[in-house]
Amino acid sequence: MTVPQPTPDEMAERASIDRSTRYPVMFFFTSAAAWLLVATLLGFSSSLKLRVPGLWDGCEFLTYGRLFPAHMSALVYGWAMQAGIGVMLWLMARLTRNELKHGITIIVIGHVWNAAVTLMVLSVWFGFGRGIPLLDFPSWIWPIVALSYSLIVVWMVPMFRSRRESSVYVSEMFIIGAAVWFPWIFLTANILINKGTAPVIGAGIDAWYITNLIYFWMAPVSLAVAYYIIPKIAGRPIHSYPLAHLTFWLLAFLAGWTGFSRFMGGPFPAWMPAVSGAAAIFILLAILATVTNLMLTLKGCSKIWEYSPSLRFTVFGMLMLGLYALLSAMSSTFYFGKDLQFSHFVVGMDTLAFYGFFSMTIFGAIYFIVPRITGAEWPSGARIRSHFWWSTYGIMTLVVTMLVGGIAQGGNLAVWDQEFSTSFVNSSAYVVGRAVAWALISYSNFLFLYQLAQMFVGKGRKSDGPTLIHSEPGTAASAKAAAGLS
Amino acid sequence: MKSDTFLKLIGGLALAFIFPWVFLILIPFVSASNAEPIPYGEGEEVEGGVTAYPDSVFYRHGSSDYGRQIYAAEGCVYCHTQVIRPTYAGPDMWRPGWGGREADGLARETQPLDYSLEEVAPLGYQRIGQDLSNVGHRITTRELMHQHLSDPTSLDPDSGMPAYLHLYKKSPYGEGLVPTPKAEALVDYLLSLKKDQPIPSTK
Repeated sequence: MTVPQPTPDEMAERASIDRSTRYPVMFFFTSAAAWLLVATLLGFSSSLKLRVPGLWDGCEFLTYGRLFPAHMSALVYGWAMQAGIGVMLWLMARLTRNELKHGITIIVIGHVWNAAVTLMVLSVWFGFGRGIPLLDFPSWIWPIVALSYSLIVVWMVPMFRSRRESSVYVSEMFIIGAAVWFPWIFLTANILINKGTAPVIGAGIDAWYITNLIYFWMAPVSLAVAYYIIPKIAGRPIHSYPLAHLTFWLLAFLAGWTGFSRFMGGPFPAWMPAVSGAAAIFILLAILATVTNLMLTLKGCSKIWEYSPSLRFTVFGMLMLGLYALLSAMSSTFYFGKDLQFSHFVVGMDTLAFYGFFSMTIFGAIYFIVPRITGAEWPSGARIRSHFWWSTYGIMTLVVTMLVGGIAQGGNLAVWDQEFSTSFVNSSAYVVGRAVAWALISYSNFLFLYQLAQMFVGKGRKSDGPTLIHSEPGTAASAKAAAGLS
Repeated sequence: MKSDTFLKLIGGLALAFIFPWVFLILIPFVSASNAEPIPYGEGEEVEGGVTAYPDSVFYRHGSSDYGRQIYAAEGCVYCHTQVIRPTYAGPDMWRPGWGGREADGLARETQPLDYSLEEVAPLGYQRIGQDLSNVGHRITTRELMHQHLSDPTSLDPDSGMPAYLHLYKKSPYGEGLVPTPKAEALVDYLLSLKKDQPIPSTK
């Protein structure tokens, strides 16, 4: 089965759709990449601070308790959500074959979003944080975030309704899902937590918000990307379309139940962590089905991901999604979860979600989208290759050290008659891995931001052919180059 | 026809999400908001000779509410938990000093009522430092608590806690540090952390 080739008319139409999305989407991508660099530097310095507690003593802005939440806010709201919004807008325009309207309005609201993220990061940094992971900002900021998000994604509704084809592609479903779910969970979490009448359930709702953000926003956006990019580049239809639909609906029914298993044995009714744990295990089935589906779509054309940057990032991101779902299901069982729940494993898991599967997939999308909307090719394949490998080394270092370190720390915490500080001493070597990982990721994203800025100011390569990771796809020379780098 | 698809999709999403939203979030939140403390039964034998909840369950003393905000703003929750899990989920209660006053037989796991004065229960994100549920029983004097905050390694050389020197000023009279109002409030809060008042049996 082959995919029909586009006619010249269709090519011209696509070009005009791409042009209409150029400024809003590039705005979100570049400001997101700038926030990512800030987030990686904060991640590096907070990890360093954890390894050497006495470092920078006396400076209130450089304590772990402020650097780490600032890092998380910048990473999630500054980078991940902004880049995701850019990808959603472009994908929606392309899939529904509509030009993006109200570009100026979207850019203006995008500035409001950036201002809100700046306020979030600065407020936690200047000591106005509230100690609620991922919602660690003064309560007056959340309406700005919720409103600006809604005002950006609401333009996708008329686009979806006036789509050219009556059938709905699965990527569109994931995007609509992500667009609707985020305001719902964000408003629920903020309104109930700020009401403050049930402090314990409030803490549980925060945990629920974190896992819902991952399964109801990051997973759908990255799956929308994967279900678009993988068939597109492989040049063949999805292996099983019903399976893709099934994943969507399984996620829709299950993800809302997750989260409370972060507090096994916490002061909750015991059924709440139990139900959350069960939901995480069922989600593993949905995610494994979808990752298998995507890999089977690629079956037989694995050579392409050697030289296509978009495909390589996206496939890596999808494999990380599978790993995340697996580890999340594993740590939702009582056997592993009770020892791992307050250890470094938590940080490893959250970073695996934010950077491992979400960001890597989004990089794939950005490498695909930016040349199309700016009309120029990426300046250097070698830099894309460096970006990929340093990011991969970074995230894998982080995940492995935090997983192993988490097991070491959790094991030490479980020995009740041992000095408490032993658990800190025994796990502190693993924190070095975390610092090194953020340094590598930081370097790779400096390269990314540099390339993106070049594209933004119109210094891309003018060429007919796309920039590939290796110049001669599939040849011995390119394989040798890949081997030399890895 | 096309708009029908959109409404159907949104309807399906709402239908899928409404169950966890109502049953996992809204109902537990509302019922926890309206929950009254379990009353002590009349003439009931209560452990430790206590017959009513202590004041400290319902009222903050001194500047400890400001201290709670400092605790949140300094990000203490990212390294310190305030959860004592029952023995099936971990040996928290066995660790000396964690579960309350073992001497009186009052060590117990944490209960929702323990957090009634918090805005959001600071259950914690990681356990890099000690659990603070009952730190008020382990560190009992202001001087020791200030030393823990300003120079933790003097008490435990292996401690991973940084010195929170920005909460202290140099003494105008030579050597030593003077706590700022923030440090005093934080100490008030930390000294008030005792999650061990007896819970009446529910029968």
